[in-house]
Amino acid sequence: MQENYLAKWLSGELSEEELAAFKQSAEHQSFERLKEVSSTMKAPKFDMDQALERTKETIGSAPKVITLKPYKAFLRIAAVVAILLVGSYFYLGTLGETVSTDFAENTNVILPDDSEIILNAASQITYSKKNWDKERNINLEGEAFFKVAKGKKFTVATDQGTVAVLGTQFNVENREGFFEVTCYEGLVSVTHNNKETKLPAGNSFLVINGKIISDLDKPTGNTPSWMQNESSFNSIPLQFVYAELERQFNIKVTTENVDTNLLFTGSFNNTNLEMALKSISTPSQIRFKVEDDNVLFYAGNTSK
Amino acid sequence: MSNVCEDQIFSSIFKAHSKTVFNYIYYKFGNEEKANDAVQEAFVKLWENCAKVSPDKAKSFVYTVANNLYLNVIKAEKVRLKYADHSNDRSNESPEFLMEEQEYKQKLDDALNALPENQRTTFLLNRIDGKKYAEIAEMEGVSVKAIEKRMHLALKSLREKIDGI
Repeated sequence: MQENYLAKWLSGELSEEELAAFKQSAEHQSFERLKEVSSTMKAPKFDMDQALERTKETIGSAPKVITLKPYKAFLRIAAVVAILLVGSYFYLGTLGETVSTDFAENTNVILPDDSEIILNAASQITYSKKNWDKERNINLEGEAFFKVAKGKKFTVATDQGTVAVLGTQFNVENREGFFEVTCYEGLVSVTHNNKETKLPAGNSFLVINGKIISDLDKPTGNTPSWMQNESSFNSIPLQFVYAELERQFNIKVTTENVDTNLLFTGSFNNTNLEMALKSISTPSQIRFKVEDDNVLFYAGNTSK
Repeated sequence: MSNVCEDQIFSSIFKAHSKTVFNYIYYKFGNEEKANDAVQEAFVKLWENCAKVSPDKAKSFVYTVANNLYLNVIKAEKVRLKYADHSNDRSNESPEFLMEEQEYKQKLDDALNALPENQRTTFLLNRIDGKKYAEIAEMEGVSVKAIEKRMHLALKSLREKIDGI
C-alpha cells in the first residue's frame, strides 16, 4: 500500500489493485462507515448576513483607514503645490517681468523707480521687479527709448552690446544686423565687443552688420522720431528701412531688382502706409505695388 | 481593475469566504464565538488593507489573518465540538438502528475532539466543506502531501477510537 493510502482512498485516488486489496482488509467496513457518517456532519449555523453587517459596522466605526487616506492625498497635493509656489516664486523672481509689443504697436512701461521705457514695434524687454532696488537691469530685444530716473547704474543688455547709464534719456535699437544707441541727455556708456564708448548727449553709436559706423550726423530733437510716429534714417541701408516698415505696418516686404544696400536718408510716417511707401520710394526712384499685406518694391523701368 | 475597497467586491468576497473562515476556526477550537470573532477580524483587516490586497489574493489573506489570530491562544483549551447534526431524517429505520447510529455519532464526536487540531481541521474541511486536499494545503500553508498525511492519521485514529481498539 502506498503512503497515506487512507487519504488516497477517501479522495478516490487509489489504483484498482490497491482498492481491491483495501476492500479485503478487516477494517475496510469501519472506514466505509466513517466515510459515510462523516459526510452527513454539519458545522454550526453561520449567519452570513448578520456577520457581514457586524463587520461593516466595525469598519464604519474605525475611522483610521477612511480618514487617513484623503489626509495623505491632501498632504501630497499640498506638498506639490508648495513646491510649485516656492519654485515659481524664485523662478519668476529670476526671470522677472516681460513686456513685449507686436507689429505696428508701441507701449509705455513704468519701472519701479519711475524710470520710463517706451517700446517701439516688435520689441521686448525683460527685467526683475523684485531685485529692481539692487540692480537696474533690462534685457532688450528690438528698440526702446529710455528715460532713466537718477540713481544707481542702469544697464540695458542686448545681444550686440550693453548700455550703462546713471540717469539720462536715450534710445537703443537692437535689430538684426543693426545696433544703434542715441543719447539725448546725460552720458551713456556703450560696450560693444568688449569696447566701451562714452556717448554724450546728442550723439549716436551705430553698428551695422558688425561694422561700427563713424561720423554720424547729430540726432535732431530730444526724443527719437519714432515716438512722434515717424521713422527717420540717416544714410541707412534700404534693407533696414524695409525691415522697419514691416514692423511699423505689420506687412511683408519683398523686393525685385532692388539693391537693398543702397543708403537711404529720410523718414516715413508710421501711421499712413501710402504716404510711407511714397516717402521711401520717391527719393530712391523705386516703384512699389501693394497687395493685401504684401508690398513689392521693384526697380523703376526707364522705358515706362 | 476591480478593487477590494469597492463595497460590492468586498461584499462578494465576504459571501464567498466568510463561512469557510468561520468553519475553519471552529474546527480548530470548537468555539463558535471565536469563529465569529475571527471572521470579523479577518475581514476588517482585509478592508484596512483593501488597497494593497488584490481580489485574487483576498482569500488567502483572510485565512492567514484568521489563522494568526489564535496562534497564541492556549492550545490546551479543551475542545468541545458538536458537529454531528444527529438528524433523525431516517425515521423509517428501526429504533435499534437509530440508537446504534446515535451512539456511533457520539463516539465520532468524542474521537474528533481527541484529535490533534490540525488533523481535525483537515478532516472536517474535507468532510463538511468538501474542500480538496490542495485547497486545505493552501489554507494551512503546507504541502498537499502534509495534508494527505494528516488525513491518513485522522482516519486511522478515528477508526481506532470508534472501534475501541
